[in-house]
Amino acid sequence: MANSKINQRAGSRALLMGNEAIARGAVEAGLQLMAAYPGTPSSEVCEALIEAHGESDYYIEWSTNEKIAFEVAAGAALVGARSMTAMKNAGLNVAMDTFMTLPYGGVKGGMVIVVADDPGAHYSSTEQDTRLLAMYAEIPCFEPMDPQEAKDMTRDAFEMSEALELPVFIRSVSRISHASGDVTFGPRAEKRNRIGFNKHYKLPYRWNVYGAPGAVSKHEWLHSVAPKAREAANASTYNKLELARGAKVGIISSGIASSYAKEAMRRLGLSVSFLKLGMIHPLPDQLVGKLLSEIATLIVIEEGDPVVESMVRGFAQENAFQVKIYGKSYDAVFPPTGEINADKATEAIAKAMEIKLEPDNREAARARIRAIVAPRSSTLCAGCSHLGTYWALKKALKKNSGVHIVNGDIGCYEQGGYGLFASKINVSDEESKRHSIRSAYEILDTLYVMGSGIGIAQGQAQVGYSDGKVVAVAGDSTFIHATLPAVVNAVYSQADITFLVLDNRWTAMTGHQVNPNTGVDTLGKKRERFNIAVVAKSLGVKSVRVVDAYNLEEAQEAIAEALEFEGPSIVVLEGECMLQVLRRTKKGRAATRVDEQACTGCELCLQLGCPAVMFDKVKKKAKIDEINCVDCNLCVQVCPHEAIAKRRG
Amino acid sequence: MSVNIIVAGVGGQGSILASHILAEAAILAESESRDGRRVNVRVGETFGAAMRGGAVASHVRFGDDVYGPLVGRGQADMIIALEPLEGLRIGVEYIKQGGMAVLNDEKFAPVDVKIGAAQYPDIQEIKRALEELGGTVRVVAGTRLAVQAGTAKAMNIVMLGTAFKSGILPFGEQIMLEAIKRRVPRRFLDVNIEAFRLGMQTDA
Repeated sequence: MANSKINQRAGSRALLMGNEAIARGAVEAGLQLMAAYPGTPSSEVCEALIEAHGESDYYIEWSTNEKIAFEVAAGAALVGARSMTAMKNAGLNVAMDTFMTLPYGGVKGGMVIVVADDPGAHYSSTEQDTRLLAMYAEIPCFEPMDPQEAKDMTRDAFEMSEALELPVFIRSVSRISHASGDVTFGPRAEKRNRIGFNKHYKLPYRWNVYGAPGAVSKHEWLHSVAPKAREAANASTYNKLELARGAKVGIISSGIASSYAKEAMRRLGLSVSFLKLGMIHPLPDQLVGKLLSEIATLIVIEEGDPVVESMVRGFAQENAFQVKIYGKSYDAVFPPTGEINADKATEAIAKAMEIKLEPDNREAARARIRAIVAPRSSTLCAGCSHLGTYWALKKALKKNSGVHIVNGDIGCYEQGGYGLFASKINVSDEESKRHSIRSAYEILDTLYVMGSGIGIAQGQAQVGYSDGKVVAVAGDSTFIHATLPAVVNAVYSQADITFLVLDNRWTAMTGHQVNPNTGVDTLGKKRERFNIAVVAKSLGVKSVRVVDAYNLEEAQEAIAEALEFEGPSIVVLEGECMLQVLRRTKKGRAATRVDEQACTGCELCLQLGCPAVMFDKVKKKAKIDEINCVDCNLCVQVCPHEAIAKRRG
Repeated sequence: MSVNIIVAGVGGQGSILASHILAEAAILAESESRDGRRVNVRVGETFGAAMRGGAVASHVRFGDDVYGPLVGRGQADMIIALEPLEGLRIGVEYIKQGGMAVLNDEKFAPVDVKIGAAQYPDIQEIKRALEELGGTVRVVAGTRLAVQAGTAKAMNIVMLGTAFKSGILPFGEQIMLEAIKRRVPRRFLDVNIEAFRLGMQTDA
């Protein structure tokens, strides 16, 4: 078998994605267990370790959600193993309960928690800065500036975790996790921690926060570790202070922002004092003090919230440093939202230091040119089963008058709430009532997080919303991840809602990871498939139907029946992810065609939302994109004039 | 010294692979030059939420003053556009005064255009716009040349060939070929090498 990407000789240099570098760091540390739930941009940490499984010996799994993954990793660390979990920013919210509590007793084996934040919300519902949550849980927090540091920090984080007996947090961001850089490999640890259990390891009832003498004693222990952690931060090689002789201006940067800060300083040709932080919590107070005592102006450059800035402000005030601090809070030189980069860092430094930047004389031309750049809206794939589900739902809802609410959820099908960039939407009460669903991309009315749709639907129904039907949707992976207690709640409270489960067998949006509904496990071994309908019935749902999402008549009839049903009803819409189907079957040029004689130009087929259905505005006829079309037969069923059909022969 | 390139295209066209080949070549070039100068190599990838057919841009940077993964605004030495509209979308923000753009001439219309809600600009209009921003533009029949090499999928490698021929890359043909060899599955290697050759030869 060929080497995996992260398995190379120590000393060699290769291009690694940040997430792969983190995976390699864990291998270099002697990882014994990895558990995660997919979430962009964090998924490749676990994926790289799945690919490398067999080259090193560790247990690995895609768990059913981040809290379970966190607990699996925590359990391993309690019996002495080196374990890791990785998740996206929102994933940490799911794991919060255990995340907040575990540090009270700490860990025995090294435990590393990797969280990939997403400033700019490229792949996420929010821009939340999880460094604040590492501080909230009172554990050490690292922030790498590039893939090399991501690897090295991960390796060293295991050591620190064992030295401090605390889980250690690594905060990545999209521009680390999904960026690649040259990485020099280190040696792989051959040694593994011994697995064993000691219920009173250095502390009474160590792993039982309630155990005598109680939770406060555990909290006291946690605080007793803080000075050691701060000492470690002051001594960390990832925190580097470079004092420029006589400079009255200083810069503090952390994580990826250090890369931006270095480039900005080069562009501006600055000679200022510079504190580059890689371990940001606890704040390395001695290094910060040394810098503040030399300067009169400080610029803090960081990705996310003003986390380092706030800590530095508090420290500066306590020690009466007379330093003007610029960052994201007071006299902000950075915007409080969105992602930063080297350009923004350059502008921020220039603003704080009152340096005049050379204006770009091409702005007027750019503004003119931008107007001709057509938008490229995100769509579901050609022949996606969700297109069938949404069409059937739209038709079933239309049979009932009123303003219906469709509560969305996270997965490929969330695109049902993206809208089209080119469509114009007016904000008014009247428009809200009139708004007919014009395409598959305008069907979801609420959209928050994994599993939120079915919970929110219950609140709408139970408070007496009666202007229309209340519907929720979720995918198969989400059904298992986050909706089971919500289904029980709906059953027990008899909420009058309809819940559609969009079963495509894979955790598709994050890159086709497996889940219990796939039928194979993390390493590809065949497993008995989770049965959504059987589980729904056993939870007490009286109206459960399973239909083929590609059979529009059947799907529409099943959804209509569920909408009529009083109390909670579930319709499972089956249709395996088309990309997976295409991986197994060779696809030639599609046979689906439009009969231009029969086509009336009604544009109804466009509302299906399939990217392979096109429209010729001049001829006023529909057209099929034969390269993208997969002959799924959905548009054939949608056309009321029988103008679309598969060509024979 | 730093080189800043953006490979722009649509999900599924191979922009990530093309950018990784360039980055691989930069790493190979450094280990061969042996002058001890440390060259950082970065690729900033935008993908994930982008399904098939979504806009994808991959930033490739290398040099001794490169740290972050993103090309600065108005600082791209070269835009390699696997799709012309995406070349314009990226070019309008990133192309350097005096930079270069190589455009594949095969359009991949966005859904907004397919449903008639937006207009796809004419390719000559795209070319003129990038020239107005100070770029030198070459339009290449990338997809057609790739088909000629053996598969339309090798279009990204054709475009690398044309980009390489521009002379902007600080390494030789052998290094590019070695990088392609390392990144492309063995059974497609011959087709891709032919695609690279055709891309270099085109005088469009």
